[in-house]
Order: sequence, then structure tokens, then C-alpha cells
Amino acid sequence: MVRLKKLSTLILHNLNKAKGQYLSFGVFICLTAFIINIALVLAFQTFDAYDDLFDKLDTADINFIIPRMQDHDNLLAEVEETDGVSFVEKHEGVFTPVTVREFADSDFDMNTVFYNIDEERTLNLPDVNKSSNQRDSSVYIPMYMKELGGFTEGGSITYSIDGKEHTYHIDGTVQEMQYGNYGTGLIGSYFPKEVYEKFADEYSGSVITEYSIKTTENADLGKMKNEIAKMIKEKGIALLSINDRAASKQTRTMVCTLLIVIFLAIAAIILVVSIFLSNFRIRSAIEDELAQMGVLKAIGYTSNMIIAGAVMPYVLVGMIAAVIGVAASYAVLPSVAGILAIQSGFSYAPVFDIMAMLIIVPVLTLAILLFSYLSARKIYRLEPINAIRGVVGEESTGQNILLFIVAFGIMVLLSFAGTLLYNVNVKPDNFMNTLSEELPSVIFTAENEKMAELKEVLEKDSRVKLFMEYASVPVSYTDGSLTAFVCEDFSKVTNDICYEGSSPAGDNEIAVGNALADDYPIGSEIEITVGSQTEDYIVTGYIQSVNNAGAVCQLTGKGYEKIGEKTNSVNVYLPDKNAASFIKEYEENYDTVVKASVNFEQMSENGQKMYAGIVSVIVIILFVISVLMVLLVMYVIINGVISRRRQEFGIYKAIGYTNRQLTIKTALELIPVVAVASVISAIAGLWYLPAINNVIFSLIGAIKNQFEVSAFILIAFALVFTGTAFGISVLLSAPIKKITAYSLLKD
Amino acid sequence: MERETVISAKHLKKAFGKGESRQVIYSDLDIDIYKGDFTVIMGSSGAGKSTLMYSLSGMDKPDGGEIHFDGTDITKLNNDKLAVFRRKECGFVFQQIYLIDKMNLMDNVITAGVLTSKNRGDIKNRAKELFSLVNIPEKTWKKTSAQISGGEAQRAGIVRAVINQPNVLFADEPTGALNSANSAAVLDVFTSLHDKGQSIVMVTHDKKSALRGNRILYIKDGKIFGECDLGKFEQDNTERTEKLDQFIKEMGW
Repeated sequence: MVRLKKLSTLILHNLNKAKGQYLSFGVFICLTAFIINIALVLAFQTFDAYDDLFDKLDTADINFIIPRMQDHDNLLAEVEETDGVSFVEKHEGVFTPVTVREFADSDFDMNTVFYNIDEERTLNLPDVNKSSNQRDSSVYIPMYMKELGGFTEGGSITYSIDGKEHTYHIDGTVQEMQYGNYGTGLIGSYFPKEVYEKFADEYSGSVITEYSIKTTENADLGKMKNEIAKMIKEKGIALLSINDRAASKQTRTMVCTLLIVIFLAIAAIILVVSIFLSNFRIRSAIEDELAQMGVLKAIGYTSNMIIAGAVMPYVLVGMIAAVIGVAASYAVLPSVAGILAIQSGFSYAPVFDIMAMLIIVPVLTLAILLFSYLSARKIYRLEPINAIRGVVGEESTGQNILLFIVAFGIMVLLSFAGTLLYNVNVKPDNFMNTLSEELPSVIFTAENEKMAELKEVLEKDSRVKLFMEYASVPVSYTDGSLTAFVCEDFSKVTNDICYEGSSPAGDNEIAVGNALADDYPIGSEIEITVGSQTEDYIVTGYIQSVNNAGAVCQLTGKGYEKIGEKTNSVNVYLPDKNAASFIKEYEENYDTVVKASVNFEQMSENGQKMYAGIVSVIVIILFVISVLMVLLVMYVIINGVISRRRQEFGIYKAIGYTNRQLTIKTALELIPVVAVASVISAIAGLWYLPAINNVIFSLIGAIKNQFEVSAFILIAFALVFTGTAFGISVLLSAPIKKITAYSLLKD
Repeated sequence: MERETVISAKHLKKAFGKGESRQVIYSDLDIDIYKGDFTVIMGSSGAGKSTLMYSLSGMDKPDGGEIHFDGTDITKLNNDKLAVFRRKECGFVFQQIYLIDKMNLMDNVITAGVLTSKNRGDIKNRAKELFSLVNIPEKTWKKTSAQISGGEAQRAGIVRAVINQPNVLFADEPTGALNSANSAAVLDVFTSLHDKGQSIVMVTHDKKSALRGNRILYIKDGKIFGECDLGKFEQDNTERTEKLDQFIKEMGW
């Protein structure tokens, strides 16, 4: 074991003589630790914070909703007797599809359950943040609607239900953990007792009973959910909704999971670059200071001591930088958590996480120790006499290899960022199609008998690019409930969410969501129920859904009509963005035909805005990191070049080369490698980017992403990157000015 | 009187290169170095003077033969043991000086000193004494090799070499890169150290340097071709100078 105290002079000397190099290395490690800590704190705390709030609010593990009129006294007892059930509580509510007006300047359709906030309950407690007490027309909206919809306490909110508008004063916000966001397919809102009773009277047909179930420890939630759904179905009761804590959690923490994966991927790339950087620096140092290492061996330093002298500065700098990076990340973590709250519908304040630090600092330090040791192992083979005489076994420092790998790696980051940016901002439909189903401009709802008339009007309207009967309706299957996308003809859909097999074409066919894929192979049959009607369908393919935790299916219009009433909504696709005026015109001119309308164009834009905000943060981080990496890597390389070739530069100057010529010459020597690496990376991106996107998006349920990888964008990025690298190289080569022919005589 | 042998090498072999480019430096060389001697190894360029010196000091491994250094066969030691051996038994002075760049003179010396002493204070005190001995003023101790003259740097190199009180001080053309004034100053340091009992082995092709030794060995054709006992160094002793001239003439220099 090398005694570090003996080496302190050597280590401090090594640190001191290449301060800039260690600083650049430290910045890399700091950045790596910064990003990993964000990812780890999110990973450790978001899910725990979710669970804590879940427990704090005594949220049920399984909730299912049935019409109150079908709720019989003995059902509670039967549910209580189900295996794994420890406690059941019934709540009353009004379950209805609503259109929320002015939701982020648009209309927003959502299945909503309105509860009585004053109802006594021990489960599913809402965490209410009251701002006032206007009991007569108050509502408490979920945090998701406040964050994403732009509503504020003290303001008002208008719900449109079956064409009738209800405006309430927003008295506060609630956090609840059973539903919470759009992805769960259901949102809860709360009224004070008086308001609720009035509302429930008006919509008495929509009053529901929510069964909230606490399970025993280690209960199999999926199995229990299936058993309950089966029991409800056997009793001929309509299952309006059933969910479990795992599915809700997965849906509500989707963006968080995505961010964690992206952050970890970025951190991995930076770490690899840092390690190559330290490797390169150590190998260069061995070559540059060969004689001195020989002298150290001559005066009695063992190889281990010299290696320790070379490695320890990196380890020390890396350790300190990692701690700084971890600490610095806490400055941005509250903002990151705030962004996540928009999608997740619950908030928490990240706190210092000792576990994350205990992972990051030792792991980074050990990685640095290991890889810098591997680079420095060459010292073992260094014979002191050969070192003094300048005889080295291997000549190459791997400068070009380092540059190639770094340029390739940075281009991977840039390509990923560029593709994300392109598909969110330039071609937002690609991104939205990946995360959602159909993206029409307008959705019209008509009375059943008026559907034909509506379609006739749309057929004649030259502004309409495409229209089709399309609806999302709740259905159930043996193991639970599903959201069914019902379309008259799936060959007309604009977003093919079928990732394997095909969408249904016949009335006995169905495509099922990714959550059902394992249990229902293509070609098998699945029993679908609406109310008391049940029908078997043949599975023709699998569809993806980021929302609803993959519990979805596709049915043709005719197929659905075997078990349910004919749907009455039409998706309308317009070539231009003028849905608002289109709706206004139809509501004015065809008010007898159009029962309700949704500006889906605006809704999509709102959704896109939310994701664009998150993506922008990621892209900005990636760009900053890329520029920093180019800057630091070029600094290390050019610094080494200038140091090694001082004599050569002096000779060039002596024979008449100008500083400008030498600066540009030095920069140009490095650029071919950068250019080749970035162009190869850009071309390879056409293959690896879809693979990366597939991996990342499949984690949130989007097995088939619709991202377009533009060769033009990638090549453009490669050229801009090469140009930037050249500019930075010219700037960093400026110290060549300080070299004089005279100074070489002194050397 | 029986002289105490500090290094005894037998049947040393050393060659460089392979195949047709193989160059045999020595194939069966015997040599003894005595305690307290200032041994000078001379020879023409490429004769293998430095190679021999580095073999004797454990810096380089011979291809064959034995080297007993104070009773230990150093050819049997592995690299780490050789490093420990060198730190305790040897000091080195190089033609190109090789002080560690950007490290001040004191730290250069301490870097060597910490290898054998745990007490940094003791090392510093001894370094200060040695700096005084080699006439390097205190204001220079914190300077780096780039900020001082070659002579000063070489004298600092000698301080580094003797900080651990080596059994033998090895010097490879220590004045080869210095002007005459600086050379004389450096040689005076060697003489001074020898006068204090330090065993020294110096490789040189410079007669002025060689005159500082008391025993001259001439290497030729891979062997110790001749030996000359010059006796103790005395300034302006023409008899010693003539004796050395005669010796190297006989050796065919």
C-alpha cells in the first residue's frame, strides 16, 4: 500500500502544474454528478413522495366505480370477502364526461367524478388547500388542472356537461392520489356539501358509488382487480372505472421516469468523455514527462508510487467536483420538481438525499480511480533508464481516438436533442402522436339521429380534409376496464398506434393495448362487455397507449355496436389551424345538428406546450453540456499540443510564420477528426436515434414512437458542431502567441 | 591494506537490439567498486560507460552476470525492490540534470528525502545544510530549475542525490551540459563530498572531471581495459594530470 503522506509533495506538484487540465476534468465530473444527482433524487424521492402522499391521504389500493342505481346492499359484503381485501369504504359522487372551458385557453374533455368534500371518509382523503369559503358556488379543483389548465384560486371555472354550462368559484385546490391527472383517464373534483347536493340532484342519473379498497400486505393488485371486475361483470353491473395504485402511479410519474432515463443517459455520456479525458491526459503526461518519471524511478520511487502520484490528483479533483456537483444540483431540483408537478398532478419539495450522494461520490471516485489507474499502468513497464533516455514502448497518445470518441459522443447528444426539438417544435404531431391517439382539429358530438346529417355537411365542406366517426368509450373485459377507441374505419386514422399486427377491420375484431399483450396473443379471443352486453372479439394486433397504463383497445364502429350504442362523435381534420372559427361557424349554422364541440387543435397545442416546456429544458441542458464538453476537451487537447510542440512552433515563428497562421494551422489539424466523427455519428444517427427513442419511449408505454429522424437536421448539426469546434479551437490556440523563438533557446 | 568492496560485478553481459542490428556492449565484464573511492569510468563514445554505471546502480538490468551491492545480488531483485534499493543505497546525478519541472529546488529535494525519512523537518534541515555545502543561497531554494543557471540546477541535483545519504553516488557526465565555470563549481561539490567519505562512481569523457577521481577505469571492447590509481585529488597537481594523460594515451583514447 502506497503511503500517500510520502507522496503529498508529488501529488500537490502534479495538481499545481496542470491546474487548467484538472479544472476542466473537475468541471466534467461536476456536471456528471450534477445530472446524476438530479436523476437519482427524482428516482429516490418522487416515487417515495408519491407513496408518502398516497399513505398520508389514506388512498385506497383499488378504486372502482359503478352506477349507484346498480349498487346493491350485498355488494359491499361480497367485496369485503374478496381475498386480499382488508377494508372497503363507499363514497358517493357524480361521474360524468365534462368539457372544461378555458382550460389553458381551450376546451378540455375529461371524465370527472365530482365528490362532496364534506362527506365523511377515511379513505381517499383530499389534501385541500382552501383559499376562501364561498360555499354557494365553490369548487376545489385538482392540482393538475391548476398547473396545466392555468386556473387560479379565487378565479372561476366553467364545466360544460351535455351542453349545459356550470360556472363555479375556485375555492382551492386538492391533491388526491387515486386519479389525479389526464393519463389516469379520470379526474376528481370536489364541491362543498350544498353545491354537491344540488349538482347530484341535477345529474341524478350519473350518481355513482366508488368502492375504495385497502388491500392486505403483499396482495396481488392485478389479480384482485381482475377478480373484482369479473365479479361486477357477473352481476350485470356496469363497471365505469377501475384502477389500482400501481397503474395510477406509473401514469402520473411517466414524465419523471422519462427525465430520469434521459438524465442518466446524458450523465453516462459525460462520464465516458471525462474518463477518456483523464485517460488521454495521463497518457500524454507519461509521454511528456517520461524523463521525470525515469528520474523518480531512479531516486527510488516505485511504480505504484508514481502511479499514485499521477492518479491521485484526478481522484481528489473528481471527488471534490462530485460533491460540488451534487450540492449544486439542489439549486435546480425544486424547479425540476415543479415542472414534473404539471404532469404528475402532485407536488413535493426535493430534499438533500444522502443516499444519492453516497452512491454518486464513491461510484464516480472509484470509476475515476479505476480508469485513470488503467491508463497509468503503462508506468509499470517504464524502465528508469529507458525513460531517462526517452525510449517509450508505445508512441501514440490516442489524441485522435479521444477526439473521435468525444466528437461522436457529443454528436449523439446533439442529434438526440435536435431530433427531440424537431419533433416537438417543428413537427409536433410526431411527438403528440407518440404520446396520444388521434389528433383531430375538432370533435363534434351530434344526436344519434343527426349523425348522418352532420357527416353530409362535413362531406360538402371543402375546408375539411378528413372526418371520421371516432369515440373513446369505457368498456370492460374479464380482468378489468378498458378505454375503447371506436372508429368507423381504422384505415382512415391519421395516427397508427398499432405497433404489432393490425387494427381491427371487421366487426368481430379488436386490437388490444400493450397492457393486455402478454395475456392475449394475436389470433386469440377476448370477451368485451358494455353494461349487460358481452361479445367475443378476435385480437388482430396490439396498440400502444401512454395514458390509461396501456389498458385500451380498438373496436370498429360496427363491432362496438354489437355491445353498445352507436357512438355519436366525429373527428374532423382541417388542413389549417382555424378550429376555433370553424367550431364557431358550425355552432352558429348547425346548432340543431352539433350537440357539442371540442377544439382539439387547441387541446393538442396545450399538451404540446407542456411537453415543449419540459423538452426545452432538456434540450437547453444538452446544448450547454455539448458546448462545455467541446470547450473542455479542446482545451485539454490543444493545451497538450501547445505544450508538446513548443519547439516546433518556435521554429515556425523563427522562419516567419505569423501567430494567426499557427493558430489556424493548429485548429485545422484537429478539425478533420471532428468533422469525420460528427458526420459518421450523424449518418449513424439515422439508425441509432430511432433505437434510442424506442428504448426511452417504450419505458413510458410508447412502444412505437412516431419520431422522424431528419438526415438534413443531423448533417446540419454535424456541420454546425464542426464549425463551433473549429472556432473554439482557434480561440484556445491563442496561447501560441506567447511562444517566442527566443524562449526556446532558454528551454 | 584490504579495501572494502561496495559493488562487485562478475561476468556482466549486455547487448542492445536483435538480429543483425544486435550490438554487444559487454559480454563478460568484471568490476569492483571500493568504498570511499571516487571511481571514474572513462571510455570512447558508445563503449558502454553509462550502460555499465546504470547496471551497477540497479537502474538497468544486465542480460547476464551478477552484481553484488553490499552483499546483495541486485540482479535478482524485482522492480519494486530495486526502487527501494536505489532509494536507500544510490544517488544519481544526470548530465541533463532532470530536476522536476515547475517544482522548486527544495521540493525537488524533499521529493527524494521523504522516501527514507518520515520527518519532513529533518529532511528540510539536511537539505538546507546541503544547499549551503553546494553554495546555493536560501533565496534560490524556492526557485524552479527554469529560473536558475545550469550550474545551480546541477548542484541542486547533487543535493537531491545525496539527501538520503546514499552508499554510492552515481554521476553520468555531470558537467556535460555546463560551461567551464559551472563545471568547476559542480566538480568542487563532488570533491567536497568525496572528502567527507562519499563513495562516488562517475562516468565522463572529460579529463578535468576525471582528475577529481582517485581511481580511473577505462572501458574498451566490452571490458575494463585498464585502471589507473591517481591518488587523492589536489588542485594544480600537474603530476596527477600527467599520469592521467599518460593513462588515457595508453588506452588509445
